[in-house]
Amino acid sequence: MGWFSSEPQAPAAPQASSDGAFIAPDRTSRAACWESRDAFFQCLDRNNILDAVKDKQLADQHCGKEDVEFGKNCASSWVQYFKKRRVVEYKKDQTLKQLQAEGAKPLPEGVALPGPGSGAR
Amino acid sequence: MSRTASVRWATASVVRTLRNELPTTRIASRAFQSKSAPSPCPHSASPQPLSQRTLPPAPRPQHLHLRDRHFSSTARSQKYKTVEQAESRYRSGPFSWAAGVLFLLSGAGLIVYFRYEKARMERKRIAEATKGIGKPKVGGSFKLVDQDGRPFADERLRGKYALVYFGFTHCPDICPEELDKMAIMIDKVKETSGNVMRPIFITCDPARDTPEVLKRYLREFHPDIIGLTGTWEDIKSVCKAYRVYFSTPADVKPGQDYLVDHSIYFYLMGKLRTSGTPGVNHPSWPPPGPIVESKGSRLHADPEGDFVEAIGRNFSPDQAARVINNHIKDWRGTLDKN
Repeated sequence: MGWFSSEPQAPAAPQASSDGAFIAPDRTSRAACWESRDAFFQCLDRNNILDAVKDKQLADQHCGKEDVEFGKNCASSWVQYFKKRRVVEYKKDQTLKQLQAEGAKPLPEGVALPGPGSGAR
Repeated sequence: MSRTASVRWATASVVRTLRNELPTTRIASRAFQSKSAPSPCPHSASPQPLSQRTLPPAPRPQHLHLRDRHFSSTARSQKYKTVEQAESRYRSGPFSWAAGVLFLLSGAGLIVYFRYEKARMERKRIAEATKGIGKPKVGGSFKLVDQDGRPFADERLRGKYALVYFGFTHCPDICPEELDKMAIMIDKVKETSGNVMRPIFITCDPARDTPEVLKRYLREFHPDIIGLTGTWEDIKSVCKAYRVYFSTPADVKPGQDYLVDHSIYFYLMGKLRTSGTPGVNHPSWPPPGPIVESKGSRLHADPEGDFVEAIGRNFSPDQAARVINNHIKDWRGTLDKN
């Protein structure tokens, strides 16, 4: 497998640990995964595709190459997670924008969890 | 004793008395002043000889009072060479630059103090509010295994604060981000408060997170982090104790690819049990025998060792470290600094 040596972080072969499990992706392989994810999402952005799961055909058509690269660098559960998260994040942003337009103010950063009896704050 | 001397004495006494009376008596005071003003008051340089007190003027109703004032105000009367000086001191009123500065300084001091107290009370309130009655609401005993395969029970958390985070090593993005934040928090707390906090990572995914997997994963973040794993049942019960949402399936095949949903809070715990005699350092952790709790002490991070505060994702590492450092600062009991 010639391409393996040029891409040592390919997740295709997760390393087994001595106690019977698989070693989790390390920092470099995470970075590689995130990078290919960002490349794929940028391609989706360029083509106005939001949901790569629902609009799979469209995504394959425009960003097939990036999707393959994405799948190569990330575990399939991560790929599914990131694709779904993209939609959730988008909806969250839209809701926040809508709330802001309606005059809602964000909570200051670092606000503690409200405890019992702190309703008056 | 001449007559003039006794008159002068009387004059000075009356002026002194008037000084302490209402402004309406000023006129009377001025009448005396015009008489005695030209010459410096002779008696003011030294206390009146005792013999003079027995001589006339004849006793008056205020006699006793005058005598008392005479002796108690000796130092003060020495400041003014003339009655005018004393008068002008009165005309200027009780305000002066010194008094103004003192007023402002004490005012500013009080504001600073009250702000500090308010922040402290707020932290205390959080620490108290998150504590249940009798039993802690968050946290509890557990028996797990650390990343070196050694048993690790909750007893080992004693003596220091603990920063507990739940996650799993195959976590796509949030756990690594949070663990990077945790590493910054660890260093910042260490820098400010010393080695008084144990960072703990408890996996929610025991099937995949064996000790070795945890070890290789955590060493990329911070060498201090203690990684804990265990059986599915053990992990489920510790997640329940910490109110962590736990969705890991019980039967996963080796190599299966899945994600785990979990709550993403840092739990600051204070398992700071004190022995019956506060201030005595514990020689070893865990101590061999049962520990006598100091109930009802002034310590407000609970000595039973429980939940202090949850720190969410909205906190930056700096803010989180500040919150932790402040709680540590509030703690009045002993802390294991080794």
